[in-house]
Amino acid sequence: MFKNYLKITWRNLVKNKSFTAINIAGLAIGMASAALILFWVQNEVSYDRFHEKKYRLYTMYNQSKFDGKLWSWNTTPKPMMKALKQDYPQVDEASRNTAGSFLFSVGDKRLNLQGNFVDPDFLTMFSFPLLKGDSHTALNDMKNIVLTEKTAKALFGNEEAYGKTIKIDSVDYFTVTGIMKDLPNNTRFKFGYLMPWKYWEKTNGGEEKNWGNNSVQTYITLKPGITEAFFNARVKDITRSHSDIKDIDVFVHPASKWRLYSKFEEGKQVGGKIETVKLFSIIAGFILLIACINFMNLSTARSEKRAKEVGIRKVVGAGKSSLIAQFMGESLLIALFAGIIALIIIILSLPAFNNLTQKQLFVPYSSVSFWLIVLGFIVFTGLVAGSYPALYLSSFAPVKVLKGTFKAANAAISPRKVLVVTQFTFAIVLIICTIIVKEQLDYAQNRDTGYARNNLVYTTMSGDMSKNYRLIRNELLSSGAATAVTKTSAPITEGWSDTWGFSWDGKQETSKIDFNIFNTDGSFTKTMGLKIIDGRDIDITKYPSDSSAIMLNEAAVKVMGFKHPVGQVVRNGNSKYIVVGVVKDFILQSPYEPVKQMIIQGPSSWFNVIHFKLNDKLSTAQSLKLAESVFKKYNSEYPFEYHFVDEEYGLKFQDEQRMGTLASLFAGLTIFISCLGLFGLATYMAQNRIKEIGVRKVLGASVIGVASMLSKDFLKLVGVAFAISVPLAWYFMDQWLTKYSYHVEISVWVFIVAAIITTVISILTVSSQAVKAALTNPVKSLRSE
Amino acid sequence: MIKITNLEKFYRTEEVETIALNKLSMHVDTGEFVAIMGPSGCGKSTLLNILGMLDDPDEGSYVFNGIEVAHFNERKRADLRKHNIGFVFQSFNLIDELTVFENVELPLIYTGVSASERVKRVEEVLDKMQIMHRRNHYPQQLSGGQQQRVAIARAVVNKPKLILADEPTGNLDSSNGNDVMELLTDLNEQGTTIIMVTHSEHDARYSHRIIRLLDGQTVMENIMV
Repeated sequence: MFKNYLKITWRNLVKNKSFTAINIAGLAIGMASAALILFWVQNEVSYDRFHEKKYRLYTMYNQSKFDGKLWSWNTTPKPMMKALKQDYPQVDEASRNTAGSFLFSVGDKRLNLQGNFVDPDFLTMFSFPLLKGDSHTALNDMKNIVLTEKTAKALFGNEEAYGKTIKIDSVDYFTVTGIMKDLPNNTRFKFGYLMPWKYWEKTNGGEEKNWGNNSVQTYITLKPGITEAFFNARVKDITRSHSDIKDIDVFVHPASKWRLYSKFEEGKQVGGKIETVKLFSIIAGFILLIACINFMNLSTARSEKRAKEVGIRKVVGAGKSSLIAQFMGESLLIALFAGIIALIIIILSLPAFNNLTQKQLFVPYSSVSFWLIVLGFIVFTGLVAGSYPALYLSSFAPVKVLKGTFKAANAAISPRKVLVVTQFTFAIVLIICTIIVKEQLDYAQNRDTGYARNNLVYTTMSGDMSKNYRLIRNELLSSGAATAVTKTSAPITEGWSDTWGFSWDGKQETSKIDFNIFNTDGSFTKTMGLKIIDGRDIDITKYPSDSSAIMLNEAAVKVMGFKHPVGQVVRNGNSKYIVVGVVKDFILQSPYEPVKQMIIQGPSSWFNVIHFKLNDKLSTAQSLKLAESVFKKYNSEYPFEYHFVDEEYGLKFQDEQRMGTLASLFAGLTIFISCLGLFGLATYMAQNRIKEIGVRKVLGASVIGVASMLSKDFLKLVGVAFAISVPLAWYFMDQWLTKYSYHVEISVWVFIVAAIITTVISILTVSSQAVKAALTNPVKSLRSE
Repeated sequence: MIKITNLEKFYRTEEVETIALNKLSMHVDTGEFVAIMGPSGCGKSTLLNILGMLDDPDEGSYVFNGIEVAHFNERKRADLRKHNIGFVFQSFNLIDELTVFENVELPLIYTGVSASERVKRVEEVLDKMQIMHRRNHYPQQLSGGQQQRVAIARAVVNKPKLILADEPTGNLDSSNGNDVMELLTDLNEQGTTIIMVTHSEHDARYSHRIIRLLDGQTVMENIMV
């Protein structure tokens, strides 16, 4: 019996090639898209779940009120780690973690590499196995270093790296005491090497005891059996009991929630990335469903062709269940073909998908469970796609079918129409979302940043740059490479520092207002192209007293309530500052948020970055070359590495750009799969109505009249889908846009554009078949009776 | 073999109720060859469908081989049907995607006959119908007469007690039609009961008895001599 089914299935597939192609293509594309998304989802949910101690692993969080709101954040004071280990018997291991960057020299090879500073426990807390070296001792000495395989390869090539010496920043020599297996693609950590915390202390002025500087992450493992709630109740007061800071509570955040549940509002965990994961899972499900709907639609649309076979089989003795089994078998076979093609599509498109999602996903060919999941996925798809056609086809009454009185139902609401409407609803929602995401992106990208990004370049200070800064600045200007130079605490595209310690006349004692802090040695407004609204720029050469000068931005003037800001005195602890100028607001952090109050401090502070404006009289390449020679001259050990502010600023839109690309990709795929189905349906509809068309033509209907009559039925369905999509899409996008303080309003034309796009695509899909049917000579179609 | 009493069947649409069979009673004995005749819409086909257990009556009794089947569910009817009844249609109703051999084999598959036994029995019946040389052809490649032979082969392959034929010569020319009638007569002579619906007085003459229907009732019975 099975052989007979297989035979007839195969012959049916071969005989109806276009039907088979549409069906398999639709299913394959749907399966591939859904599977790619599920790959992504699987990667997201597996983040940092591979650590053996994952159930005991936590990161420390602070919690405090600012401007009446309760904030939670995971940078912590450096002494917290020691306090945890010494005073809390529940704590098993603990480590700080912060990023660093050094120049590595091995022989002639010089590389600027990113790594992390950690305490020795780090290697036993996390399951990052060492291929060489002992994870219990590898970071015990100050000049030990653990390299990842990749870093070892980059530095030593194919030579053995373990035990070798590396020169760091031309000052210190480190011994490689561990080679770590490269980090997997599902961990929050990104480093090329690990250095002992002791070295950070050596290069940063010794052990820091300040509980007010929140700048590192602190990780702990609790002893077995200690619960999160139990420990939270005890660790809450750690900052209060170790310092005179009274308004900070501390709590722990478990490893299982780092990736997906990291958003806090008012001290409560309120989701995070899990929302995207859920959304994408739903989209994957829908794309697969749409592909299955295609299958259902095409199979049932062909039912008049298959009806005779069903009738005959029933007459010669087939029961309903054996027919259901037969049709299920057919859909399983089609799903199997589609699955194989989908796998090929996945393999081919994975690199592009990785690029799009910034991931390193791969097909685990050697994993048995992977193949079982693939098989399960195919069977699942086959069963979903085949269920309705199998039930529908097997229920035909042989009497009607064989006497030729059988006509497939053309009821007002047939399941097939519901299915088409479902498909198109989903497609239209995605089209509308795509348009709105792109609109929002344009809107934010076109927002005035408040400074001039073009030709603005920055370089992070390393080696002798700090020592030779004055010389570098003068030569950049005199050589004509740059027209302005300023030294700052951070790149203009990033906020590296903020504090709530400032006070001024008129400030309410109880209010705690957090300011972004930026430092400059002068020429700040000139280099950045900022607009001074009141007063002047900080300039120590002209005004020697400017070492204690500050500038405010407009937002700061507003929250501080100054009527005449210039000349006002602002205090922070024992330091006293005088406001010398006010700059127009500019975007430092998120282009989607209002500009935050900011204080720009003068030259007596700390600096990390040199910004310079390239001379626009020269070509960019020329001025960069000049600049390079200057940096090489005064910082010969280090390669000249620079960043264009324009490009760095562009990175702020990466997430939304990705979201836009994904939305348009999903929309495109969905509409494509839906149209495949629509095309198939139109073909069969035209065939089924061939006699009606003949009669109409004999009675005088025109070709256009007939074609539009056939197309109209489908467009009506698209119209219904549109009516359902509009409120759905509006609701989703309204929710999405509330994430951004600075966002577009949803306008009517978005829906109009979506309507036009969908209508045009559907007309193109359906009309060719309708016209073909309308052109058929009625003599032919009527003779067939 | 067949005894029906006061059989009724209605067809309803939203506005009209049509009576297809109106308190019809008749009987057919084992080994008989009965022709049913009557104008279009007299209920011939409805009767044949009920006799073949493809359809069920609204009222009345239908006893097949001593079993009351009027109120059997679809599954029981299908079971009884596949072991006892073979069908021959006007439009042949072969499955286009299966070869001659596979079409004939189909009833044996559903009655669970083993593969080797199936080959034996299909070849036997194809031989008898003189269509063996076409065994690997598809229906579209055959003439109407050949297709009907295949259909008859399929109807008899399970050795049914009863063959129901619905205008078996309706789509054939007279020479092919006569061949088909000869085949049915042969089968009848070998013991198979045959009930045939036909419009053709010529074909009806092959039978032992003609039942004439009008408006769902028996109006006349002719015994052929």
